[in-house]
Amino acid sequence: MTSFRRFMQNRTGMVGLLIVLIVALAVLIGPALIPYGPEDMDFMAILAPPSLAHPFGTDSFGRDVLSRVLLGGRVSLTISFAAILVAAVLGSWIGILSGYHLGWTDGVLMRIMDLLFAFPSFILAMLLMVLFGFSSVNIIAAIALVYLPIFARIARNTTLLIREEPFIQASRLMGRRPSAIMLTEILPNISAPILVQASVGLAFAIILEAGLSFIGLGVQPPTPSLGGIMSDGREYFSRAPWVLTMSGMAISVALLGINLLGDGLRDLTDPKLRERA
Amino acid sequence: MTNQISRRRVLQGISALPLAGSFSLSPRAALAQSTTLTAAITGYNVINSLDPAKASLIPEFYVIWGVFNGLMTFDDEMNIVPDLAETVTPLEGGGYEFTLKPGVKFHDGSELTAEDVKFTFDRVMAAETASPNAGKLAKVKSVEVVDPLTLRILTDGPYAPLLTFLTNARTGTQIISKAAFESMGEEAYSRMPVGTGAYKVTDWRSGEGLTLTAHSEYFEGAPTFETIEVPLIAEEASGVTALQGGQIDMTSTAPAADVSVLMKDDAIKVLRQPGLNTRFISVNLRKAPFDDIHVRRAFSMAFQREAMVQAVIFGEGVTAQGLLPPQLAAYYSEEPRPYMSYDPEAAKAEMAKAKYKPEEIEIGVITWSGGWWKRFAEIFVAQVNQTLGTKLTVEVTDANTAYARQKSGDFEAGVWGWLGMVDADEYVGDILTTTGWRNFQGYSNPEVDALAAQGLAETDPAKRPDFYKKAEAIAMEEMAVIPCFCSNIHNLLRADLEGFVQRPYSNFADQFRSMKLG
Amino acid sequence: MSDLLGTQPKASSLSDRWGPVALYLLKRLLSGGLVLLAGTAAVFFTIQAAPGDPALAALGEQATPEAIAAFRAEYGLDAPLMAQYLRWLLGFFQGDLGQSLAVARGMPVGELVLQKLPATVFVGLFALFLAVVLSLVLGTLAALNRGKATDTIATSIAVFGISMPDFWMSYVLIFGLSLGLGLFPAFGYVAPGDSLLGALHAAFLPALAIAAPMAAVFARTLRAVLIETLSKPYVTAARSFGLPRPFVILHFALRNAMVPYLTIVGLQIRYILGGVVVVERIFGIPGIGSLMVDGAFARDYTVLQACTVVFLVIVLVVNIAVDMICALLDPKQTVR
Repeated sequence: MTSFRRFMQNRTGMVGLLIVLIVALAVLIGPALIPYGPEDMDFMAILAPPSLAHPFGTDSFGRDVLSRVLLGGRVSLTISFAAILVAAVLGSWIGILSGYHLGWTDGVLMRIMDLLFAFPSFILAMLLMVLFGFSSVNIIAAIALVYLPIFARIARNTTLLIREEPFIQASRLMGRRPSAIMLTEILPNISAPILVQASVGLAFAIILEAGLSFIGLGVQPPTPSLGGIMSDGREYFSRAPWVLTMSGMAISVALLGINLLGDGLRDLTDPKLRERA
Repeated sequence: MTNQISRRRVLQGISALPLAGSFSLSPRAALAQSTTLTAAITGYNVINSLDPAKASLIPEFYVIWGVFNGLMTFDDEMNIVPDLAETVTPLEGGGYEFTLKPGVKFHDGSELTAEDVKFTFDRVMAAETASPNAGKLAKVKSVEVVDPLTLRILTDGPYAPLLTFLTNARTGTQIISKAAFESMGEEAYSRMPVGTGAYKVTDWRSGEGLTLTAHSEYFEGAPTFETIEVPLIAEEASGVTALQGGQIDMTSTAPAADVSVLMKDDAIKVLRQPGLNTRFISVNLRKAPFDDIHVRRAFSMAFQREAMVQAVIFGEGVTAQGLLPPQLAAYYSEEPRPYMSYDPEAAKAEMAKAKYKPEEIEIGVITWSGGWWKRFAEIFVAQVNQTLGTKLTVEVTDANTAYARQKSGDFEAGVWGWLGMVDADEYVGDILTTTGWRNFQGYSNPEVDALAAQGLAETDPAKRPDFYKKAEAIAMEEMAVIPCFCSNIHNLLRADLEGFVQRPYSNFADQFRSMKLG
Repeated sequence: MSDLLGTQPKASSLSDRWGPVALYLLKRLLSGGLVLLAGTAAVFFTIQAAPGDPALAALGEQATPEAIAAFRAEYGLDAPLMAQYLRWLLGFFQGDLGQSLAVARGMPVGELVLQKLPATVFVGLFALFLAVVLSLVLGTLAALNRGKATDTIATSIAVFGISMPDFWMSYVLIFGLSLGLGLFPAFGYVAPGDSLLGALHAAFLPALAIAAPMAAVFARTLRAVLIETLSKPYVTAARSFGLPRPFVILHFALRNAMVPYLTIVGLQIRYILGGVVVVERIFGIPGIGSLMVDGAFARDYTVLQACTVVFLVIVLVVNIAVDMICALLDPKQTVR
């Protein structure tokens, strides 16, 4: 049975995938379908409760919350996705390098990773944001740096498991360059655990980004972000609870989808769990 | 009344339920019934100094008003009446003679004398003190002690607002203890000041709160509450939840969004009235792009002040086209001023006259996270960008940094405002004259300076407003700052708390003494 | 009994374990010290490398050169970098973390940190406790009723738990348990020294908000490990000898699940501390997290640096503690 067919049979994973697809579709094409732009202010409709015209209500500037949540979701998801992509690519590379060469390369790289890993994630990201500024690139860099050691460790451990396998030894004996072996032989074999970790990491990255924006140290206005909308909504949440509630629920739905998808992927790649499922 | 008491009872009952009765209401709340009042300063969490001469932020004054007294004070109808002074006699050629109330005790038990008053005023005026409040005594020539309970303040010609500036308001002329100050030193004194007020500071946790304890020898009788806890709550919305949850008994402000909802809540008393304040966009006239008058005028016409009042303070205030608020009735100008209303076409035309192109204007508008200040900057930025095609951004920092940066000129634009200023000179003289200490924007016009000086010397209440109105009109024509609105002031109290009389300058600790649970 | 159940790790007396464990502790302390040293250096030099001058940040762009020079001299910013670091390090070991540049200008940061640390530790420990209790219940229930409705419910709660960021959870709790039902305060902090019950009552919502996502992660781990342990031959054997089910679960399964479970707890402390920062802010808890956010907004580099290092120390201490507990529970596996 191919992996794909097996995945199709995993109910959790499928539900997750469905939610993720819906969320992705919503943030990609949703804003185009809504008659209000996320920046369009309507001072006749300040803090209007949810209605047919504004399903998520409006905020203190009379902006359509649904439209802002979708665009904010796009910003938040893009940042989180980019950060995890950077962390996964860079982390895999560091991990493979360490696991393949061992020796002092391994020693130095892994000590650096251990050091990064010792800092609480949010604290590290917050410090970097304050020091280097609030641009989107910096947010991506900060989140990527936080998750780098996790990917590096996984990549290294998996590389260690396979580095003495016959097919790799054979390549080595054939005189292929180490970089070629790493890229063509090792990388494909470690991609499954990296992928699973990426799905878990994506959920945490979204939470991290939202947390930073929520306290005001992430995406800056006027660019909407889920954390930013929630932070705005809490200021008048007793009068207009929908701004906070709707954006909070949106973030939960996205996270739920990603987490379920991650569970499905893990079941698929973890043979022990599969046997007993 | 019985209504919310029963509600409180019910809440207490419920809160004792979870985990098999192992929780009871916290003992602090129980204590609050008798001797402790928890009065939160909301919307701010910064207090730098409680030394009146050094104080500049409103939360600092909120506390100072309960710890010190002035020679004068405002009564409930905003009349100026003696406080530490017993009699006030005008002198020929300007100035006054004051006699002090006998037997007034400082917190350390020592008695107030004319020497303390002279020391206080001399210190505020001394250049080396660098007091932000020095301007209050700008025209004071000397302070002379006649006898231990009598002193004279001599001025350089007539000085109209002197008595106003000697009140226990946002003046910085509150009387300090000479002996205590000299023995403690400025640094220690600014944290644990010794005044004559009904309460003394007994604990101060930076960024967190203060504890005030009753001054049993207070000259008008010992206060009702033995202890006042003054937590600093940075976010106004948190203040409301804390009040609703019973962790605090009153607040210094209210989030405008919640006012209409809270007014329907029987458990909470909402005090509100139009305030003595001004809110504007502070622009740095020394730097690009605001060194160009056309940019300032274009910006001023590029946003809707009415919308701002609705979106930022949810209608809890009025639009402004100048700095002097409507509450200073005689000084307020009603007739429309040019460049002060939303007109996108005129704004664009004005922008075209400027030496800067709108798309090249990429500056940050400084604000801070806390209450509506962030939205204030956000809506300004959004609307100006929309109208003119500029690339303004919102730059969020903390209130303290925003203040420090504007004060030091390290800014292009920022939202700003002043609260609790009782005399026209504080608006025009301080904000718009060349040497005014609140003039962060670097505005300078000799004509305005001259008019403000004349206003200062004019003691005839009928003639005085004219000078300030004229000065303000000139400065607004030149757009020294971009005026936005004037807001209502609020206090939230638990319904059974009585004795707080709200005043338009936004008072606070001065009322603790007479407050009680009804 | 244990002879019959051959694979069950042999229970050794405590005194047998102490020797290697003490050695292990020494090793861990040493490596922890090295990480701390490297960590402080990394933080210090990163802050130095960042754009922006702390003197300018504190005094403003228009400060006179004299004022800047005086400021730099006052705060020792004019010395060479390495010397500054060594001085900072020396101060750090003496409890001197420098002076605050902006948050409480001129105040010793060490004093500030000591003032705020108890609240963070209290709320953090309370959250950890709640997370452990919740996860033990959820994880065990799920594992023992695998495939049944209980499992589905517990697993679903866990998935929803990790889908709720702590700050969003805070507001859900405030809406429901505080403003709605009036059970817990929505704001404020009571020091445990003033009243332990009052402190627990006031800190319950923030602790729960931090604990909920963590409990979900812990519960999922526990469930997986328990399921694996329950299928081990010795457990099956124990059951077949007619030992009562609760005894088997407590004695074998949970005990063996403890090491991986605690390892996850140790790993998750990095996230818990992140939650502390945001949640402290929401509930107005005067802790290190609030201090760090104030420091962040005010660009108070000494405060930021001190807070980061304090958090680093907390992570190290917790991880060493977790490793020690694991070592005591299962010396053979851990101490190598």
